[in-house]
Amino acid sequence: MNCLEFRRHLGSEPGSQRKEFVAHREACPGCSAAQLRADAFESRLLHALQVAAPANLADRILLAQTTQLRRGDLSRRRRFAAFTLAAAASILIAVVAVNRSVQPVPPLSAMVIEHLQEHVVHADDLVDSLPPERVMEAFAERGVKLGSVPAGVDYVHKCPAGPYRTVHMVMPEAEGPVTVVYVVDAPPAPGSSFRSGRNFGREVRMEQGSLVMIGPSDRHFDAIALSWHDALGNAVAEHDSRETHDAFAGALPHLQTVIRPDGAAGSIACTTCR
Amino acid sequence: MKPVNAAMSSRQDQFEALVRGHSTDLYRYAYWLCGQEALAQDLVQDTFLRAWRALDRLREVSAVKAWLITILRREHARLFERKPMPSDDIDDLDLPDPQATPERSTEESRLRQAMASLEPKYREPLVLQVLGGFSCSEIAEQLGLGEAAVMTQLFRARQKLKGQLGLEDPLAEVSEL
Repeated sequence: MNCLEFRRHLGSEPGSQRKEFVAHREACPGCSAAQLRADAFESRLLHALQVAAPANLADRILLAQTTQLRRGDLSRRRRFAAFTLAAAASILIAVVAVNRSVQPVPPLSAMVIEHLQEHVVHADDLVDSLPPERVMEAFAERGVKLGSVPAGVDYVHKCPAGPYRTVHMVMPEAEGPVTVVYVVDAPPAPGSSFRSGRNFGREVRMEQGSLVMIGPSDRHFDAIALSWHDALGNAVAEHDSRETHDAFAGALPHLQTVIRPDGAAGSIACTTCR
Repeated sequence: MKPVNAAMSSRQDQFEALVRGHSTDLYRYAYWLCGQEALAQDLVQDTFLRAWRALDRLREVSAVKAWLITILRREHARLFERKPMPSDDIDDLDLPDPQATPERSTEESRLRQAMASLEPKYREPLVLQVLGGFSCSEIAEQLGLGEAAVMTQLFRARQKLKGQLGLEDPLAEVSEL
């Protein structure tokens, strides 16, 4: 490298560490001095280019990012809810049109289905096996003290269904999640099974109120109804007197009918009666 | 209600580190690209929002600065497409006056004015080299140019700056040797 080549390279890349560049600088006092002048200029240039950034720039960017994230999430949820609502409405219309004469949805279950169209539970809302206290708390706030909580409740929320107060739950099963809605103050009505679109449904009388189950299969409805019967039954046994039981027993001859798919009377004897 | 998602948290941490580590450099680059403080701030913000969405595509942590600069240049180009603005001259830019001695402030001010008056094709590679610390080959890759062309632009950029500041021309000095 000669002096001219060195000066050209110095003007392009003053910080170069190329072997021939460094070697020439070390051998040539004139170019070494030129390098020192160039370094001084680079230092001034760097200083001049370092304009002050706005205060809290990083915080502002992070705030914008988290705000956009929330907006995006909300918008996705809204789009999904709208899609789910539309799909559910279409299914409901189809069911009413096709199956009305075959398997009418009981009025209470129809209210529950209507509620489910408005209250879409997203996968994000589900938590693997909620703590039993959470479920007990929701029931307690509805005036029902549970003796135990069936295993595998992934979601619980206090909701209205028409004029009734309910506890809305989701229980995962192999064929898909089963929506279980306990209607606290439902009027006495016989239990029944029904279809709602591709979903199966069953309405079951409990000691107090009714249990409505809706899911992609009815295979687990018996077990779910039994587990809730026990949970609610225990509550009555623990907190109500024999007198209360008798009063309910008289009014609720279908106490054990819950396990029959067709809602007819069942064969399990009430342990309190025995 | 939802358990903490470890993957999401880690991604957010990574992003925060990215913002805190590079926002100032990126702002300075944006400022010298567009010459306006508010616009530079918007560009940096948009750049990081895009970077957040594309964070999973970032493979080499060592290349993060070049990656961010690429995003910022694209954002700037998009902005320019939407709203054309004079870019040949940013003489009227609001140059900040840093806290310094009057002599230094004047010198810096002159240097900044000179820098602002450079054509973008000279200014941009110079900013990438001086502020970004990129090599000529890296700048060539960023700008989609040949390395020789970048070296020529860098040389001319310095020549023009020194000419405006009344400093000596290194090549003229060589010819006198």
